[in-house]
Amino acid sequence: MHERLSFHIKRDSLIHRLNPLTKLALVLALVVVAFTAPWYWTPHILLLLAIIPLSMLGRVFPEFFKTATRLILPAATFLFLMQAFFQPIGEDVIFKFYFLDITQESLMFAFRNAMRVFVMVSTFTLFLLTTHPSELMSDLTRRGLPGQFAYVIISTLQILPQMQAKAQTIIAAQRSRGLDTESTFLKRAGSVLPLVGPLVFGSLVEVEERAIAIEARGFTSKHAKTSLHEIPDLASDKFIRWVLLALVILSIAANLWLS
Amino acid sequence: MAFVNLQNVTYQYPLTKTPALQNINLQINEGEFVAIVGPNGAGKSTLCYALAGFVPHFFKGEISGTIEVADKESSKSTLDEWVLNVGLAFQNPFNQISGAKYTVFEEIAFGLENIGVPREEMKSRVEDAMALTGIRDLADRSPYSLSGGQQQRVALTSILVMQPRLLVLDEPTSQMDPIGTREVFGTIRKMAEDGMTVVLVEHKMEWIAQFADRVVALKDGSVLLEGKPNEVLTSTLLAENGFGISRYTSTAREGKKQGLWKKENLPVTLDEAVEGFKHNA
Repeated sequence: MHERLSFHIKRDSLIHRLNPLTKLALVLALVVVAFTAPWYWTPHILLLLAIIPLSMLGRVFPEFFKTATRLILPAATFLFLMQAFFQPIGEDVIFKFYFLDITQESLMFAFRNAMRVFVMVSTFTLFLLTTHPSELMSDLTRRGLPGQFAYVIISTLQILPQMQAKAQTIIAAQRSRGLDTESTFLKRAGSVLPLVGPLVFGSLVEVEERAIAIEARGFTSKHAKTSLHEIPDLASDKFIRWVLLALVILSIAANLWLS
Repeated sequence: MAFVNLQNVTYQYPLTKTPALQNINLQINEGEFVAIVGPNGAGKSTLCYALAGFVPHFFKGEISGTIEVADKESSKSTLDEWVLNVGLAFQNPFNQISGAKYTVFEEIAFGLENIGVPREEMKSRVEDAMALTGIRDLADRSPYSLSGGQQQRVALTSILVMQPRLLVLDEPTSQMDPIGTREVFGTIRKMAEDGMTVVLVEHKMEWIAQFADRVVALKDGSVLLEGKPNEVLTSTLLAENGFGISRYTSTAREGKKQGLWKKENLPVTLDEAVEGFKHNA
C-alpha cells in the first residue's frame, strides 16, 4: 500500500534548498517562455540546456528521466501524430496515407507542440520531485494563501491512497460474501455498485468526524498561524525570481514584437 | 463555583424526534477525573460534544439550559475560542488524523500551528507531550502507517499538547491492548492530579474503578446514577438497565446469592474480588 501520493524525493541539493515559491516561479517561467518565445527551437533548447541540467543539479536525474518518459512520452507522441496528420498547413507532402498527408510544415509544427507539452510536464515533474508538498503549502500559507485551501490540497494527496486502500478492503469483503468480480465485463460493472455505497457514504461520515477533529485543534482559530518548519527564503531566491520574471516579460515582448 | 457546570441541559439533534440529552445537571471541580458510563445510545458522546462546544455550535439543533466551563458560557462563546479551554479526543483514531501532515511530529504540532504558538515553544511542547504518552519513537513515522492503538495515542497527544483545562475523552483506548490502556490511564490520571479536569467515556469498568474520582451513569439521555466509582459500578440499578458490568462484580453478586461472598460491598476489579473471596476462607 502507498503511504502517500507524492513524487517528492528527499535529497540534499541546490534545487531542493530553493524556496518552494522560487521553484514554482521557475516552472511557470519555463512554461510561459516555451509557449511564447517566437524562435522555433526554444522549447527544445530549454529541455536540453535548462531542464535536464537542472534535474542533474537537483540530483534526481534518474527518477526525473523515468517519470518524465513514462508520463509524457505516450501523450506527446499521440499529440505529435495527431497534429502531424491533421494540421492542414503546408504544400510539400512528404508522406501520404489514404486521405491523410503529412507535410513538412505540419511535421515541424507538431514537433514543436509536442516539445512544448514535454517542457511543461517535465518541469512540473522536476518541481514535484524536489519539493515537499507540505513545504510548498506552508510557504504559500505564510504568503497569504488561505489555510483552508492548503489543507484541501494536502489532505487530498494524503487521503486518496487511504480511500484506495479502503476500496480494496470493501471489495475483498464483498468478494468473500460471493460478489463476482472476475467474470464477464457486464457482471463486473454491476459489481461496482455495492462498492460505491459503503465507500461514498463512509467517506461522508468520515468528513464530519475529521471536521470535528481539526476544529478541536483550533483549525478555524483567528490567531495568525505559525509554522513548525522554517522555510528559508534567501536573497538569492528573490534574485532568481526577478530574473525569471524578466525572462517571461522579454519572451512575451519578443512574441508581440516579432509577430 | 464548579469548574464545569451544566444546568438543566436538554438537547435535540436536528431532524430527530427525541432529545439526546434530557435535563442534565452536572458539576465537576477543577482537577477531578469523572468517568461516564452508559449503554449504546445513552447520550455519552453527545454529552462529550456538549462539553467540547460542538453541541450546539457544530451540530446545530435545539438546546436549552446552560453549559459553563471556567466561568464562560458555551452559548455566548464561539467554537474557536471554546476549544482553547476544552480538548476533545474521540474513538475513531483514523478520522482524527488531520491528513495535512506527513509525520507524527508535524501532526501533533498541527493544533499549535493553528493557534499561533511560536516555533521554539511549539517544538518543546510537542517533545514533552510525546514523552508523556510514550510515542517519541513514532515521531518521524507517517501517521497513516501506524496501528489503531498507536493512532489513538497520537490523537490523544495531539489534544494534550494544546494544554486544555478540560480534557474530554470519548473511549480513547478502544483499540489499545491492555498494557497500552494501563499506560494511557496512568497518564490521564497524572494529568488530573496536576490540575487538568478530565471527563472520560469508557466501557472498561475495572479501569474506571481504579482511576476515576467519580462516575456518572447515563441512560436515555439522563443521569441515572452518580457517585463514587465503587458505589455506582456495583449498583443493582446498572445491571437492571443494561449497563456493562465488570465480570468481577457479576461473579461476586452471584456468589452472594450462593452465600460465597460475605462482604457488604461488591468488587469491581480483580484485586478487590480476590481480596473479598480470601476474606471468606
